[in-house]
Amino acid sequence: MSYVLAKSKNSDILEAGECGGAVTSIFKYLLDEGIVDGVLTISPQDDIYDGVPTFVTDSEDLINTAGSYHCAPTMVGDLIQKYLSDKKIAVAVKPCDIRSINELIKRHKINPDNIYTVGLNCGGTVSPVTGRKMIDLFYEINPDDVVSEEIDKGQFIVELADGTEKGVKIHDLETEGFGRRLNCQRCDVKIPRKANIACGNWGASEGWTFIEINDEKGEELIEGAKKAGLIETKSPSQDAIDARSKVENIMIKLSKKTQDATYGKVNEMEEWNRCIRCYACRDVCPICWCHENCEINKSYFKDSGIPPKPIAFQGIRLSHMSFSCVDCGQCDDVCPMDIPVSLIFDKLQKKYSDRTGYIAGVSDDIKPPLYSPAKEEL
Amino acid sequence: MLEIKHTLCPSCSVGCGVNVVLHNGDVVGTYPYKRHQVNEGKNCLNGRNSIEIYKSKLETPLISNASVNFDKVIDEISGELKSCDSDKITVVCSGNNSVEEAEMIKDFAESNNYNIAFYADNFVNLNADVASYEDIENASNIIVIGDVLYDNPLIGRRIVHAKKNGANIYSCVQDKSVTANVSDEIFDSIEATLDKVDDSSVIVFNTIESGADLEKIYGADCKALPVFSKCNSKGVSSIIDPISKEDLIELLDKTDVLLIFNDDIVSEIDYDFGSISTLITLVPCLNSTSEVSKIVVPIKSWIENDGSFVNSMGETQNFKAAIESESLSEVEIIEKIQNKL
Repeated sequence: MSYVLAKSKNSDILEAGECGGAVTSIFKYLLDEGIVDGVLTISPQDDIYDGVPTFVTDSEDLINTAGSYHCAPTMVGDLIQKYLSDKKIAVAVKPCDIRSINELIKRHKINPDNIYTVGLNCGGTVSPVTGRKMIDLFYEINPDDVVSEEIDKGQFIVELADGTEKGVKIHDLETEGFGRRLNCQRCDVKIPRKANIACGNWGASEGWTFIEINDEKGEELIEGAKKAGLIETKSPSQDAIDARSKVENIMIKLSKKTQDATYGKVNEMEEWNRCIRCYACRDVCPICWCHENCEINKSYFKDSGIPPKPIAFQGIRLSHMSFSCVDCGQCDDVCPMDIPVSLIFDKLQKKYSDRTGYIAGVSDDIKPPLYSPAKEEL
Repeated sequence: MLEIKHTLCPSCSVGCGVNVVLHNGDVVGTYPYKRHQVNEGKNCLNGRNSIEIYKSKLETPLISNASVNFDKVIDEISGELKSCDSDKITVVCSGNNSVEEAEMIKDFAESNNYNIAFYADNFVNLNADVASYEDIENASNIIVIGDVLYDNPLIGRRIVHAKKNGANIYSCVQDKSVTANVSDEIFDSIEATLDKVDDSSVIVFNTIESGADLEKIYGADCKALPVFSKCNSKGVSSIIDPISKEDLIELLDKTDVLLIFNDDIVSEIDYDFGSISTLITLVPCLNSTSEVSKIVVPIKSWIENDGSFVNSMGETQNFKAAIESESLSEVEIIEKIQNKL
C-alpha cells in the first residue's frame, strides 16, 4: 500500500472532474490503450440527482461521467455479474460496490482478472428524491438550480450556476430525517481498500486527487496513466496522509455511534408484518444471485401467505445472506413497504463479524459461511 | 453494449418509474429508477415483471390462429368492418392505451360511427375532488377500500407513511391481508368504513362492487383517490367516458364485430364472448382475449413507444421508447385500416 497525489493533464477533464480528474483520466488511459473493453461508471441523465450506471466504450464520452454524484445510490456488482462478466472492464466503485464485487469473486461470479477497480472514498449517498426535498427545505434553493453537490467537512454543499455555494451540516439534516441514506449513516467502510486504487479528496491539496494504491494492479494503473501523459503525480506530505486518516476515523466513529443507536431499536416482527413478498429485496441484492433455484420460490415456502411467515421468507434469506451483507442499502431502497431490510441484515452481519472476524467483502480469501461446492453447480 | 433507460411502469395507475436494462439491443431486466418522484426506485413484482410484455411479444398477425402478413390482416379487418352495420361494431379502448392512442381510437370510432366502450374497473366519471399522493401522507384519517397495500404497494407505502405520521387507518378489506395488518380497524362494509370519514380524511380505493358504492364514496365529505388496475385509465377517462360493467354488457349484447385495442376484456368481464360474431384484438402479446379472437394483430408494447400516461392523481407523465422496434404502433395500424375503409 502506498499513497500518491494525482491530477489530470487534460484540461477538459481537469475542469469537469472532481478534485483533479485523476479517475476520469485513468479510465481514459485504460480505454485508449485497449486494456479494457469498457468502463462502467455513473453519468447524470435527467439532472444531477439522476446518476445512472453507464457503460462507456469510447473515451470521448468519459467527460460526461466526470464529477461526483452523491445523490446516485447505485450498485454495480450485480450489473457486472449479470451482463459484463465476459468483458474486460474498469469500474468506479464505492466501498459497498467493491465489497459486493469481492463477495461475487469469492462465488466465482466475477473473474478478478477481467476487472480494474477504481475506488471512490465515500462518506455516504443521498436518495435523489430526499436530496431534492432537503435542498428545497433546508437550503431554500430550487433543486433544479443546483449544478453540483459535494460532501465535505461534515457538510452537504450545493453549488449554483453563478458559483455560489451553500452548505448545511449533515448532522443537522439527519436529525430531521434527511441527509444520507440510513445504511450510509451506519457504514464503517469509507475507503474501498479492496479496489486496486482508492481515490478521493480527503487530505488532498486543492485540485489534486489523493490516491491510495492498494495492489500491483493499482500500481500499473498509476504508472500507465502517467506514462501515457494523462496524469501527473506527486507524493503527499505526512500531514496530508494524517489529515485523510483523521477524516476516515471521524466518519467511522460516527458510524459506530449510529450502529449502536439503531441496531437495538428495530422491531423485526413488526416490520415484516408489512411484507408483500415481492422479492424486490432478494432480486436487487448484488450478492444473492442464484434466484432461479431459490428456496423461497419453492411452493412449501411460497404458499405461506401474505405477509409470508417470517421463517419461510425472511428467515431463509437471513440464514443464507446476512453474513455476506455489505450494507449497500439497495434492499431498503427498493422495498415498496419501507422495511429496513439492510438494518436487519447488517445487524446480524455485525454479530457474525464480532464472533468470527468475517467482514463481508472486506475479509481476505475467506469463503463465505454456508458456501458449498454445490452452489457452483447451480 | 449495456444501457439503462428510463420508462414508466405499465402495470397499474400509480405511475411509477422503472429503468429497463438493455444488453446488446435486447431488454434483459429492470433497474431501480430512484430519481422518480412517485416511487423513488421501488417497484412491485408486477412492475418489475412488466418487461415480460416485451419479452413475450407476438411477432406476426394471426387469422384463425394462422400466421399471416400485415397486408392480409389489414385487408381482413377492413373487410369485416365494411361488411357489418356500423351500429353493430364496437371499439373497446383500454386503460393500457396512452393518451395519444386513446385520442386516435376515439377519432377512429367516431368518424366511422362505431360504438365506443371504455371500461375502467367499473369506475365511472364523477365530478369529485381527487386526492394527491401527498394528501394521503398528510391525512389524519385514511379510509382504505380494497387491499391497496398488496395490489398497489406504492400507494400502500404512502398509507404506511401516514400511519407513521399518526394517521388512523380504517379499512374495508379481508382481515388476513397486508392492508389489514396496518389498519387500526377493519370493517366488512363500505358504509361502515365510511362512517369514520371526517373532513381531514382521504379515501383510497381500488375496487367497488357497483356504481352505488362509487356514489357513496364520492358522497363522503372528503377527497378520494381511485386507483385503477391499468396504467392510463385516468388519462383515457378524460377522453372517453368509462362505462359500468352493466352498460358494457348491454353494448356487447348488440355487437357483431368487437375491435379491442390492447385490452384483456375476456379476463375481466364475465360474458359469453362466443356470442359475438367477430373479435379482433390488437395486443403486444397474447392474452385471454386474443385466444378467443378470430383476428389478432401485434402492436408495439409501451416500451417501444413514445407517449403519455396520466396517473391516479391526475399527473401527466411522458415516456419515450426505450428500445427501437420494427413493430407497428396502434396509431399506424388504425391509419392503415382507415385507409382501406
